[in-house]
Amino acid sequence: MPAIEVEALVKVYPDGTRAVDGISFGIEDGEFFGFLGPNGAGKSTTIKMLTTLLKKTSGKVAVSGHDLDKNPQSIRRAIGVQAQETGVDEDLTGRENLELMGHLYGVSRDQLKPRVEGLLKLVGLEAEADKRAGYYSGGMKKRLDLASSLVHSPRILFLDEPTTGLDPQSRAAIWTYLKDLNRNEKVTIFLTTQYMEEADRLCDRIAIIDQGKIVASGTPSQLKTEIGADVITITMPESELVDHPERREEAMRLLEAVPGVASVTAFESGVSAYVRNGGSVVADVVRALDNAKVNLGSISLSSPSLDDVFLKHTGRRIRPEELKKPGRSMMFGRRRRR
Amino acid sequence: MGLLGESYYFFRRAIKKLVRNPIVLLFSLIQPIIFLFIFTQLFDGFADLPNWEQIAGVSTYLAFAAPGIIMMNAFSSALQSGVTMVDDIQSGFMDKVLVTPVRRSSILLGRMLADAVRIIIQSVILISLALPIGAVASNGIGGVAAVIGIIAFFGLAWAGISHSIGLRTKNQQAVFSAGFLLTFPLMFMSTMLVPNIIMKDWIRDVSQYNPISFAVNAIRSLMILPFSSWEAANWAALEQSVLVIAGIAVLSLGSAILAFKKVVE
Repeated sequence: MPAIEVEALVKVYPDGTRAVDGISFGIEDGEFFGFLGPNGAGKSTTIKMLTTLLKKTSGKVAVSGHDLDKNPQSIRRAIGVQAQETGVDEDLTGRENLELMGHLYGVSRDQLKPRVEGLLKLVGLEAEADKRAGYYSGGMKKRLDLASSLVHSPRILFLDEPTTGLDPQSRAAIWTYLKDLNRNEKVTIFLTTQYMEEADRLCDRIAIIDQGKIVASGTPSQLKTEIGADVITITMPESELVDHPERREEAMRLLEAVPGVASVTAFESGVSAYVRNGGSVVADVVRALDNAKVNLGSISLSSPSLDDVFLKHTGRRIRPEELKKPGRSMMFGRRRRR
Repeated sequence: MGLLGESYYFFRRAIKKLVRNPIVLLFSLIQPIIFLFIFTQLFDGFADLPNWEQIAGVSTYLAFAAPGIIMMNAFSSALQSGVTMVDDIQSGFMDKVLVTPVRRSSILLGRMLADAVRIIIQSVILISLALPIGAVASNGIGGVAAVIGIIAFFGLAWAGISHSIGLRTKNQQAVFSAGFLLTFPLMFMSTMLVPNIIMKDWIRDVSQYNPISFAVNAIRSLMILPFSSWEAANWAALEQSVLVIAGIAVLSLGSAILAFKKVVE
């Protein structure tokens, strides 16, 4: 039985925005699945619908075998959710936060105590367990939040940008917990992220989402090999791009004519060429551009990243935006849309 | 787990938050304390009216006004309750709770019970300040206990209205403003601070149907009038005021529960 099945899911907000525009996907039991996309792509909206927080406009959703329309209560019992905003209560201690969530999930008292201890240990908050969460750092709050979404031992875990806004150490720590959870405890994980590295490292399979639509999906390596073996990224001086936008078109035409170049895509500050054998082609590329007197900013050769995959499918790069202290008025229900 | 069991967890959380931020509780007492110590002196001359004692049942204005001021605190304090709901929505805590299988009504009920406790604590403080300076409690501890019971019930009922506004607007400022807009006209067009006999006719008519008057009259009788001299009409008035508060409680709970349903859309 698949853990999550989504068919033609649509969300139209009252103002007419189609935040999610007919997406379909399935997640197998035990899979680590990622939704990769920029801010506003529809990731949070999707997670909110799958976790019963937001009503869908149309489509079919089943989580853990339960139909979203008929049986939201069974879904709530089966899943753990970590939202983008850490919803920990800052007046309560870390331990009290976990205990409260345990009670709300109906975990029995004798099971709750060892469970809370175990989780505090898992996320490394034992020493601070009895301090109020208000005194925690951002990373500690995220870890506490993660622990509290696990208190009832859910089989499916939803994580909405679990590391956005964290420092590299905290991010690495969270990655380790998540990998362990998925590998050792076989928890199915659905994660959204704007970080390619995160999707690349953690996920068995990813879907790239942009403007409410899934533009590509597969394993990270599948997606990367689809676009070619190497990427040559050429940036052009900004003045040149502004004053002579036609130069970019010209550069693209020139590049397409170079033997060995499979395809070319433009992005804000230049062009990317996907090539089969980068090392031998890069010299030809430079020569071609130089002959045509195209001004170059920089040129680099690399293996394709998920960013290149995203660029290839959308014509833009993902630029992760660090989570600002979420604007107070833009949270909750329909006003939160990412 | 039953509704009460679930509500208890939210109640306990709210009480913990209250105890850990005592300043919030004390801050809102400033206004009623000013009324108690200054406003009552400002209108001290009321008691010189020829038949004051007959109208008011007590010899000083302070003794007459004290029950009204205690009720005023309960009213304005209840009408700010919705701010906590907005806080929970904005911090993301509410979403965390809404993805659990817990009953939606328990979130509200636990919260409102805690609001009632907050109002009880404030009322006890105000009563203990008012008694030494001239407020009367003719029915002793029993009377004061009944007063506090009614105030708690009253607070709970109006807190629901505030939560409902909080859930619908998701905006602290809106909760404050709505509370303010409700408080003043309802307060001034009631018997909270003056006996209805001195009012202009139309205000007297309004005050007769004002739910605040029902509640104030009930607790004023309980404080001032010894049970020994209560007549059938007094008991009937008390019963009526409890019914009015119950009616408001039903309305406000209903409205808040509906607001909760709309939150998930």
